[in-house]
Amino acid sequence: MEQIGVILLAGLTNGSVYGLVGLSISLIYGTNRVINFAQGEFVMLGVMSAILFMVTLHLPTWAAIGAILVVVVLAALILELGVYQPLMRRGAAPLTIMIGTLAAAIIATGIALLIWGPLQLAVPNVFSLQALNLGPLMTNPQQLAIIGVFAGLLLLTWYLMYRTSFGLCIRATGVNPRIASLMGIRADRVVRFGFVFSALISGVVGILIGPLLGGQVGMGVTLTVKGFMAAILGGLGSPFAAAAGGVMIAVVEALVAGYGSSLYAEPIIFSLILAILFFRPYGLLGDFEAGRR
Amino acid sequence: MKSLNTVRSMLAGPALILLVGALVPLLVTSGFHLRLVSIICIYTILCTGFNLLYGYAGQISMGQQGFFALGAYAFTLLMSAGDWSFWSALPAALLICAVVALLIGIPLLRLRSHYLAMATLCFGLVFAGIASRWIEFTGGTAGMMVPSVKFSGHVVSRTELYYAILLIMVLVLVMQNFIVSTHMGRALMSLRGDETAAQSLGVNVTAWKLRIFILSSVLAGLAGIASAVVNRQVNPSFSEFPILVSILTIAVVGGLGTRYGALLGACVVVIAPQGLATFGESETIIYGVCLLLFLMFMPHGLSGLIPKLFGRIRRKAVLPAHGVVKAGEIKP
Repeated sequence: MEQIGVILLAGLTNGSVYGLVGLSISLIYGTNRVINFAQGEFVMLGVMSAILFMVTLHLPTWAAIGAILVVVVLAALILELGVYQPLMRRGAAPLTIMIGTLAAAIIATGIALLIWGPLQLAVPNVFSLQALNLGPLMTNPQQLAIIGVFAGLLLLTWYLMYRTSFGLCIRATGVNPRIASLMGIRADRVVRFGFVFSALISGVVGILIGPLLGGQVGMGVTLTVKGFMAAILGGLGSPFAAAAGGVMIAVVEALVAGYGSSLYAEPIIFSLILAILFFRPYGLLGDFEAGRR
Repeated sequence: MKSLNTVRSMLAGPALILLVGALVPLLVTSGFHLRLVSIICIYTILCTGFNLLYGYAGQISMGQQGFFALGAYAFTLLMSAGDWSFWSALPAALLICAVVALLIGIPLLRLRSHYLAMATLCFGLVFAGIASRWIEFTGGTAGMMVPSVKFSGHVVSRTELYYAILLIMVLVLVMQNFIVSTHMGRALMSLRGDETAAQSLGVNVTAWKLRIFILSSVLAGLAGIASAVVNRQVNPSFSEFPILVSILTIAVVGGLGTRYGALLGACVVVIAPQGLATFGESETIIYGVCLLLFLMFMPHGLSGLIPKLFGRIRRKAVLPAHGVVKAGEIKP
């Protein structure tokens, strides 16, 4: 009984991370039908610049967090202005733009490799890592903060999307950018907002998981893929379905690793996704996307 | 009946490539350079399969590196652990690639564009995970040595190996040209255009997707086997991300949906980094920048330059590269 609690808690922590990356991918996809392959790279930049600002430059924590978020937003703007816009202007198909964002991810990893080197680095923690007893469960404030931030950001995204007029603009742009433009919505600004907002989310994820995962420049791809698996499992069309998919993947991963061996975790999740996609090609909760076609 | 012209266009290019390729060992003397040319041939085989799948049929797979490694591992395990002969291990390894492609292709090919891309990428990552962590079977991150290829006691030399790989590459190119210039090529291109329209014209969409996916996976496996034999070893790096980056860079730089784009791209991607002083570290950045610049400014790749250079506009059956991907696009 105790073991299952520990496993579920670990699953929920990782699930928050996968879920937030999936949510970010789904947010961008929701505005312009492009999969941002560099999403995990934003998390990597968050983790690595935390090392730069907190360890190398010794900034106070609040200033460091601000600086990290500035770095991530700048990266998002560079991606939007330097990769997305030029390809879009040339009439590239969404899949071509996805390969463009993959190229951006490769370049980001390459530059980070030159700055931080290939080794895994320790990342300073914002919240304490001291063990904390929560009933029968052992945890620490950092872990709880991740779950809390996950819930908070989900709520924020929901409020933004469904309770503000700007959220209506975002959803309208997702349905049809051209008609949204005719209605007076600045579709290009909505897309830019999508990039910046999802980069901010990923930056926050980076600050929080850095101490638990350690910082390594190659960590972005795995996170992008996990986030995308979360999004296709839940359904790309809705950020919340993507977040739910992330929690599901992480819980299955934790259960397989806890009761079997972590060797089987990835193949099992992969077969699970294949099976689900076979019966529901647009994800478990993907009716929205299917209805659009 | 096929007109003489079509047959000529199918064979002329590969014949020229065979001729030039056959002269290479006379020109380069060092083993290092011969190895580079062998790697170009291997990448050409790998990317010809990818080009047929993505460039012509519009179905992206980001799991080709998984099949590249699967072929190499299956071949090596059959040769060393299974003690099979070369001539039985080679077709068996290719058969394994085909069966795995069939098994994962049936559910995967129901997916389109991004879904297909990411789901195939998952396959590649899962394979990389198995290859590096199932230590007792695959040798873990250290990998395995590949026994040298022998025929009736005679150990195949590097030059002979190069000629064999060159011949395979030329045969693969001939096969590609045959597919592209017959009804098969038109069926594939109809997939990337509009699946519904293709279906209404009597193209069996599911069957063609599956066929081309299996063919490109088998070609990736073949390239993997060749790579294992040339490198004399196989390790998890065969299935890792840099191979995928190379495949995409080669395909885009050479030109998607063109007959010799894979070869041109492979030449550039293999030879260009040799000129760099600080080779290893900045290599990834340069691949990324090349990929991005070609996507933006030369969507037809280097193959798109050739008709421009010779002032010929005779470009048969080559649609604009940006049209390539339309098949998977979700139309608003």
